[in-house]
Amino acid sequence: MTAPARLLLADDHALVRRGVRLILEQEPDLTVVAEAGDGAEAVEVARRTPLDLVVLDIAMPRMTGLQAAREIGRARTGSQPPKLLMLSMHDNEQYFFESLKVGACGYVLKSVADEDLVGACRAALRGEAFVYPGAMSALVRDYLGRLRRGERVPSTVLTEREDQVLKLIAEGSSSKEIARELTIAVKTVERHRANILAKLDMRDRTQLTRYAIRAGLIEP
Amino acid sequence: MRLYWKVVLINGVVLCLALLALVLGPMSVSRSTVASEVLVLAGGLAAILLTNALLLRSSLAPVDRVVRAMAYVDLTGPDGRLAAPPSGPGRSLVDGFNAMLDRLEEEQGTSNAKALAAQEAERHRIAQELHDEVGQHLTVVLLGLKQLEGQVPAAQAAEVAVLRESVRDGLDDVRRVARRLRPGVLEDLGLTSALAALTNDLGRHHPAEVRRVIAPGLPGLASDTELVVYRVAQEALTNAARHSRAKQVTLSLVRIGEGLVLEVADDGIGFDASTSGAGLRGMHERSRLVRGDLRITSRPGQGTTVRLAVPLAVGPS
Repeated sequence: MTAPARLLLADDHALVRRGVRLILEQEPDLTVVAEAGDGAEAVEVARRTPLDLVVLDIAMPRMTGLQAAREIGRARTGSQPPKLLMLSMHDNEQYFFESLKVGACGYVLKSVADEDLVGACRAALRGEAFVYPGAMSALVRDYLGRLRRGERVPSTVLTEREDQVLKLIAEGSSSKEIARELTIAVKTVERHRANILAKLDMRDRTQLTRYAIRAGLIEP
Repeated sequence: MRLYWKVVLINGVVLCLALLALVLGPMSVSRSTVASEVLVLAGGLAAILLTNALLLRSSLAPVDRVVRAMAYVDLTGPDGRLAAPPSGPGRSLVDGFNAMLDRLEEEQGTSNAKALAAQEAERHRIAQELHDEVGQHLTVVLLGLKQLEGQVPAAQAAEVAVLRESVRDGLDDVRRVARRLRPGVLEDLGLTSALAALTNDLGRHHPAEVRRVIAPGLPGLASDTELVVYRVAQEALTNAARHSRAKQVTLSLVRIGEGLVLEVADDGIGFDASTSGAGLRGMHERSRLVRGDLRITSRPGQGTTVRLAVPLAVGPS
């Protein structure tokens, strides 16, 4: 068995940090090796501790999570920089795109952290993007708009089911709602979601960032 | 000349003329006045009064007009201004009155601006506290319950799961309220991202196709100007969604000369632009705060365009 991944947790609220830590440490493949109370401290700790993943709260004093992520991403030379994952209260896809831009793999909303955080950590460690659901619908809507206007988009062949899921995502339905609507399991919806992303060339961080810039969702 | 002196002068001239007529004229008054003399005197007096009345009337007419205007004046537009007579004290009276209206309007604008700024500051504070205090505590509870769920017997675990969903709803509510109060995205990520978020929101809840044209590399604005641009865009998009029945809504932000121009245009049913509701007035007031220039063009059946131009360098801020 490989050694568990080493994590740094940064959140200015000590009790939130503790809660997140307890959730993560239930998993045998994850271990929290350090904590930080603000962005600057996180950068400092990341500089001298070997890490695999840094989980950063966006709203922190001294240096926001986004600024800290940018610093951590560029500080390491030689060795592989740790993967980055953002945690936030804000339900807004723009934070997701901005997170991608500063080098993070994903963005987890605090109100679903109990469900999504572990999965997001694992996706980030694998080097995949963890696509925030709200962002997914913005991306898909933009894609459909381009298709309608006859612009050049990645040519894809979606299955009939994937096409149904795509339309529901564009309308802003959550995985749960889609599962209920199509009477399939939530897990199945998520598999369709992942397939759609892959087919639209939006699987990893770089592809997603490029797409978001082209769609005018973020500035280059 | 002041009004007082003009009245004195008119009275003086009329009385002098009467005196001259009395001295130089061929008339005299007997010790015991006879009827013909009374008639002449009465005629003279009537002539004096009539002359006086006519002269005073033309001088005092502006006073009456100002008094009437004061009773009905509406401070919201430039329509309340009076046309000044070409010269004389009436002119200074009307000019003074118009200047007073200008000043009142200016002051009303300033106090509206202050009220708006105070409201924004208060919203900001409440949103921040909701996020930083209430939100964090609820997150702690949410994560704690998740932890607990794995440790208690199955019978209680179901109960804990229910509690956990309830906490999640609470957290969602807090976030929604905070977001409505103050868009964190504007402060954290800037105007471009905030406008992108607004158009995304509209696209999610509205069947119209929403297009976004935001020029890359726009210069930064003062934070109060950004907030005004954001709020005007928000109001314009909300109006388009609620009333326009548009098929396409386009938001654009580009630099034109020394200013930044926001335009929200739809191809909906339009409205009579001369009728202004509270929302439109709010947009005008906000734009005035940052010396912006707001134009709303719309005609029934022709769609609506809201265009706000703000100067790039606004004051020392």
